[in-house]
Amino acid sequence: MPEHAVATNEEWQVARKELLDAEKAHMRSGDDLARRRRELPWVPVEKEYVFETDRGTSTLAELFEGRSQLLVYHFMFGFGYRVDEENPGCTGCSLVADHFDGVIPHLNGHAVTLVAESLAPLEELRPYKQRMGWRFPWVSSGGSDFKHDFGAAFTEEQQRSHAEYNFREVTGIEPQREGMSVFALQDGVVHHTYSTYDRGVERFMGTYGYLDVAPLGRNEEGPADWWQRHDEYETRKKERR
Amino acid sequence: MPDHRVGTPEEWQAEREALLKEEKELTHRGDELTKKRQELPWVPVEKDYRFETSDGEKSLADLFDGRSQLLIYHFMFGPPYEAGCPVCSSIADSIAPQVPHLGARDTTALFSSRGPLEKLLAYRDRMGWEIDWVSTIGSGFHRDLGFFHTEEELGPFLESGEIPATVEQNAEMCGTDAAGYVAEGPGLSVYALDDGTVYRTYVTTARGLEGPAMAYYGLLDRTPKGRNEPPDEPLWVRRHDEYDAA
Repeated sequence: MPEHAVATNEEWQVARKELLDAEKAHMRSGDDLARRRRELPWVPVEKEYVFETDRGTSTLAELFEGRSQLLVYHFMFGFGYRVDEENPGCTGCSLVADHFDGVIPHLNGHAVTLVAESLAPLEELRPYKQRMGWRFPWVSSGGSDFKHDFGAAFTEEQQRSHAEYNFREVTGIEPQREGMSVFALQDGVVHHTYSTYDRGVERFMGTYGYLDVAPLGRNEEGPADWWQRHDEYETRKKERR
Repeated sequence: MPDHRVGTPEEWQAEREALLKEEKELTHRGDELTKKRQELPWVPVEKDYRFETSDGEKSLADLFDGRSQLLIYHFMFGPPYEAGCPVCSSIADSIAPQVPHLGARDTTALFSSRGPLEKLLAYRDRMGWEIDWVSTIGSGFHRDLGFFHTEEELGPFLESGEIPATVEQNAEMCGTDAAGYVAEGPGLSVYALDDGTVYRTYVTTARGLEGPAMAYYGLLDRTPKGRNEPPDEPLWVRRHDEYDAA
């Protein structure tokens, strides 16, 4: 017998239905928050930003690629964020990014463009992207203040004293942190509509969605304690059962 | 000016912070639900379900492939289908890239369908998914979880004259009719293997799939237009290689 409680199918059904009611209430609260997100005011983006892309230099408006909505993932890579020489990209951001290629055709089919941005130059991003087998657009934002202005990169002064991350004052911030910022393009004007950071990014990590329904759950001391790049689980095995 | 309300950065910030407080509460309530899921009792699976796989016939216990947890997505691809359900295909787009990460967490993920294995694998190749897909021998496995319905059960729905446009559209995209299409149902079922016994721990369907398996909704829920699914229009979801044709 396992250590876990064992029951008949009928007993399980009763417990499952009770949980389903709670899951449905949670989902409806989520629907309500999604509606409230759409009600946030839009803020016109007045500063000029430039990005290096596979097709040359682009403005923020050009990153929309003709669609009306843009999601930009703030990917931690280079300039104070380098895991080691062979693995320059953040491990957690790499896990987030593993979810992009599967959803991009569906987002693009529904008026949304998704790109990742990093401070590092394209020459550094390209080999890593190729190694990971990714296809999503990944642009270099190092030519302007975009990553700083949208709360995902911090100056040395901010790292020494304090900075705002995830809408609160923090001390000892790292040079970069993860996040997603969202924009709308209307009548040629880009508006910032939403940004989310820290655990707000978990919603884009489908792996946690599956682990959250598995018997052992996330089974971790802290989020980063088991993550590996998808090609490294064999070579960097840290088995914990 | 856009139709939408425009604000200053300070106004946006104040409203964003208020919303963040509630987002955090929702995340924490989600953590509590995860804990409750883990507290559900386990039910021993006593039937000997059999599956046809690319490595020959297997039992449910064999499907764990050396790990202690098994996630099965019940993919709507019945015997009369010529191609998999487009919505299940969008779910598969979310699941397939997770296989290495889930594997590292002692969890095997795979798809199960009632259609013949060669059709499933040919479709998998077309879609480029790197995940195991098994074909059930008999219909009991899907039937017992409520993911396969008989014609008799479906009669009232099929004869109601109120078949949603999304069902008609998806049936056509699968090369079958509404009756053939809705005989199958989508779902996720989860199992634990302990001392050689398989236990069913969790099952979910319908909107319960959105959280774990429909990653695009998590992203769309944070965009200005949201899901943008008017009730009088058929669902917008297509197979990932068919948007340009749509």
